Amino acid sequence: MDLLKPYLVKYKRDIFITVLSVIVMSAAALYQPRLLQDVMKAITEDKMNQVNSIGVKLITVAALGLIAGVINSIFAAKVSQNIAADLREAQYRKIQTFSFADIEHFSVGNLVVRMTNDIQQVQTLVMSGLQALLRMPILFIGALIFAINTLPQLWWIIVIMVVTVVLITAFVFSKMGPLFGRIQSWIEKTNNLAKENLQGVRVVKSFNQEQNEKNRYNEASGELNKINIKIGYLFSVMSPLFMMVSQLAIAGSIWYVGTQVNEHPMWIASVSSFTNYLMQIMMAVIIGGMVMSFAARGMVSIKRIKEVIDAKPTMQYDAKAPEIELMGSVEFKDVSFHYPADEQDVLKHVSFKANAGEMIGIVGATGSGKTTLAQLIARLFDPTAGTVEIGGHDLKHVNEKSLRQTVSYVLQRATLFSGKISDNLRQGKLDANTKDMRHAANIAQAAEFVERYEDTYEHVVEERSANFSGGQKQRLSIARGVIANPKVLILDDSTSALDANSEKLVKEALERDLQHTTTFIIAEKISSVINADRILVLDEGKLVGEGSHAELLETSPVYREIYGTQKAQEVNS
Amino acid sequence: MKDFWQAIKFFAHYFKRYKFGMFLVGFFIILSTYLQVKAPVYMGKAIQEMGNYIFLKLNPMTAATANLDKFHHALGMMLLFVVSTAGAMLIMGVLQSIISANSVNDMRTGLFAKLQRMTIRYFDEHQDGEILARFTSDLDNIFNAMNQAIFQLFSQIALMVGIIMMMFQQNVKMAWITIASTPLALLIAVVVVMQAKKYVDLQQKEVGHLNGYINEQINGERVIITNGLQSKSINQFVKHNEQVRSATYKGQVWSGILFPLMSGMSLINTAIVIFFGGSMALNGDLSRSAALGLIVMFMSFSQQYYQPITNITSTYNMLQLAVTGAHRLSEVFAQDDEISPANGQQLTGIKNEVTLEDVHFGYKQDKEILHGVSIDVQKGQMVALVGPTGSGKTTVMNLLNRFYDVTSGAVKFDGVDVREMDLQSLRDHVGIVLQDSVLFSGTVRDNIVFGKPDATDEEVTSAAQQANIHDFIMSLPDGYQTHVDDENSVFSTGQKQLLSIARTILTNPDLLILDEATSNVDTVTEAKIQKAMEAVISGRTSFVIAHRLKTILSADKIVVLKDGNVIEQGTHTELLSEQGFYANLYTSQMVFE
Repeated sequence: MDLLKPYLVKYKRDIFITVLSVIVMSAAALYQPRLLQDVMKAITEDKMNQVNSIGVKLITVAALGLIAGVINSIFAAKVSQNIAADLREAQYRKIQTFSFADIEHFSVGNLVVRMTNDIQQVQTLVMSGLQALLRMPILFIGALIFAINTLPQLWWIIVIMVVTVVLITAFVFSKMGPLFGRIQSWIEKTNNLAKENLQGVRVVKSFNQEQNEKNRYNEASGELNKINIKIGYLFSVMSPLFMMVSQLAIAGSIWYVGTQVNEHPMWIASVSSFTNYLMQIMMAVIIGGMVMSFAARGMVSIKRIKEVIDAKPTMQYDAKAPEIELMGSVEFKDVSFHYPADEQDVLKHVSFKANAGEMIGIVGATGSGKTTLAQLIARLFDPTAGTVEIGGHDLKHVNEKSLRQTVSYVLQRATLFSGKISDNLRQGKLDANTKDMRHAANIAQAAEFVERYEDTYEHVVEERSANFSGGQKQRLSIARGVIANPKVLILDDSTSALDANSEKLVKEALERDLQHTTTFIIAEKISSVINADRILVLDEGKLVGEGSHAELLETSPVYREIYGTQKAQEVNS
Repeated sequence: MKDFWQAIKFFAHYFKRYKFGMFLVGFFIILSTYLQVKAPVYMGKAIQEMGNYIFLKLNPMTAATANLDKFHHALGMMLLFVVSTAGAMLIMGVLQSIISANSVNDMRTGLFAKLQRMTIRYFDEHQDGEILARFTSDLDNIFNAMNQAIFQLFSQIALMVGIIMMMFQQNVKMAWITIASTPLALLIAVVVVMQAKKYVDLQQKEVGHLNGYINEQINGERVIITNGLQSKSINQFVKHNEQVRSATYKGQVWSGILFPLMSGMSLINTAIVIFFGGSMALNGDLSRSAALGLIVMFMSFSQQYYQPITNITSTYNMLQLAVTGAHRLSEVFAQDDEISPANGQQLTGIKNEVTLEDVHFGYKQDKEILHGVSIDVQKGQMVALVGPTGSGKTTVMNLLNRFYDVTSGAVKFDGVDVREMDLQSLRDHVGIVLQDSVLFSGTVRDNIVFGKPDATDEEVTSAAQQANIHDFIMSLPDGYQTHVDDENSVFSTGQKQLLSIARTILTNPDLLILDEATSNVDTVTEAKIQKAMEAVISGRTSFVIAHRLKTILSADKIVVLKDGNVIEQGTHTELLSEQGFYANLYTSQMVFE
């Protein structure tokens, strides 16, 4: 709840109005049976003028209740969506301070859920809180007081009724809880079956397995159905039972008043207002119970949002570091690293130095630590031991902006954002003009297809960049990486979807146009790095070889082995 | 409106299966309505009799004759009606849940069965997520509506009619007073619901934009971090967020206002009823005890009367969603099924050859992909299809086991057109290994015996051994009983492919279609895949979409496709000597994709 506190304070005026209107609303609802009692009394006592004035009062009170209800809804809506929007923004701002490690910690999908569903849940919680959750206790206590006040002798009927309703609710919920847990897993199972049959539709058809798959699905669906029916039964029991309990309580009250009518003839005027209060008490208990179980879900969401907002970003930039221009040399000094969730070192005592303008290849088997090494250059993670320096400055003491301007990292998975091609390229250089874009696209071999569009760089990028092939996405992503002429460029297996010829052209263009850029090329295929000035060979996190292609063939058995398998594959004859 | 009638037809189709159940539901709706509206009458009567008793008792002339028999009788009747109402409602509820759940289950399994019958075209033209939404959100919406809105619509209408009838039977004047505000209430309800729909739609649209933005940004967060775009991303977010803020407000107000408005109206109406009842009593129209009873009775009516209006209007949204859901499901059910000719020829095996004869084909009518392709493969031979992306290799594969039908020309097995064959027998003899391997949830063994569920353990092991995956499976703690599914599995991409090769080996198809994977795998797995492929291809008539040089070199025949035409075919040596497209590809490093 303390997550919401500052916002509740921020909107205290509106909240005050909702609370006030809830009180007026409840008071109107509570006052009506009392007025009814007065009417009944006036009739029994034959007082016409009283009936009229009470009648006017009745209608006024009801109208007041209506107006208060409307005001309550308006302000509850206002407060709830304001809080939701504020909270959403606060959470988003927090996420934007996250480092790679933080994103991995929460996982992308999870963060999206927290930004969407969980915020929605909180909005619903606040809205229903300001409406029903506030009203129910007021109504319950008010109706209880009025009821006892009206016919104090009938207190026991109230107790029996409330206890019965609570028992029924508790019983039904205790049966329902486990069923809901089970149904969730069957829903997932049926959905998974449907999903894998969609993915594997060609396999199912070509193996003629339609009937078997149907049987499998029908079985799961049947189980789901059984639970659905059981839950249906429980729901069917609930509302008739509640209705019966309330009506029995009413009948009981009337009966009891009947037995006392000789001594207390005026009770007849009270009995119907008493039964009205009975109904209000019961509604308060039932609706209150429902809203509470609903609120429990909202509380879970609040907790999840709080986790994000309270998270301390694992990477802090030195706030005092001045903005400076860095040189393009990169040096690793005895760097070891393990991921936060892991204990095993992914990099072990790696040291090397790359001079400004060099092209460095990094090779090694899957899991040897190539990508990790590259991520440390861009300070996406901090080393667990040792230091990484660019231009002679320890990255831990470098201004964030300077770092991003110096180092450009083209990721393994090319990601474009919906919008225009130019929007995506400008992510690499905010003020890029058409000339810059053409230059970058030429290097990345993207110009040939971009300039074939009528609207060239203003061509639209659809959601999930669905209108581009894998190779096109990679080329655009490389263009974005080189557009700002970075001092240090990292290509992390970024040409994997390019054909050999395009890949070669990209390399040539890099050497020609980015002479002063220190370039790191991470690759699966040795052919991709064969012309690099130097190649670093990684094996299980250790730097086991360093040198040109020719040198490494001489000195590094690991390199020789990798080259051997790939060579056999490519020039087999 | 068309959607609405379609939805009625759709639901009627499913309810038809539960004729007797529906009849009972109808019966109990009427019964419980009757009981429910009759109970207040006895309650009013009880009060009236109590009043009579008091007035008699207070009058010394009649005090001796006063007794409570009639009071007790009315109370007894009320009790009886209350308990019966609960009973009838309970039975009705149980029947409803059975019918709703079973109907939705019929829809769900029917939809799945429909998917199994439809043509591949449908799956190629629609995204998985879009189809899956039918199983999830559409069926959910329909189920919710059935449980909470559709049957309720009937019972609430019945209740309303019942209350009106009962009120007029009891006291015409009071009845008119009670229903006098109905047109106003309906007007308010309709206006509010319409406004709410308008603004909630708007709200959903803005929220959709915002969520789309959030999804994209967070998914691309790594790019944002590496390019230092955080503050730009926040600025853009704030813009979207402010739009949502103002759009949500109206949507929330209009949808939140209905309930207080209606319950407020109900309160006012009750006040009016009490007021008029009171003045009627004192103007001498009625005896005072009768007036007391009448007020109590009509107060109860007035409260009940407003319930159906509130309930129906508040479920409007749910009904709307169910109508949309029914429309979307009907759309799927209206799709074409795969055609298998009646009394089609049974394929028993390949004796001589499989041929494509002058095949023209396009996925869309106005865009032909294959322009007269002819290929033949002799029994036991392997044909390698090579060519750049978009040349039509995958399309050829789609025609061989009749995922699509040719526009003109023919695909023939030993001279018999595939369109004249029994579809199942065709596919029994044609096996495929796809580029992206799919695992089904179940055990490893389940996945291998997928195409031949009655395979023995020896057959399974032997297939896995040939596919070079047996050793890996045995290294798992549960061996062949290890549970896998596509999302979360111990198998890497390469190993999945080995598993799917084992799956195909087990069914021992006469014709094999194999689409080599292009994905990067480590060198060890690479070698294993190569071996497994050799095992599955050797001695089998096969079409292979080849990406690896080694595969191409071992082909009996290489067919080079470009832009939907066969431009060259022959053996490696022949094609090299032709100095054409293939020779050029070969020298420029043999990479096609």
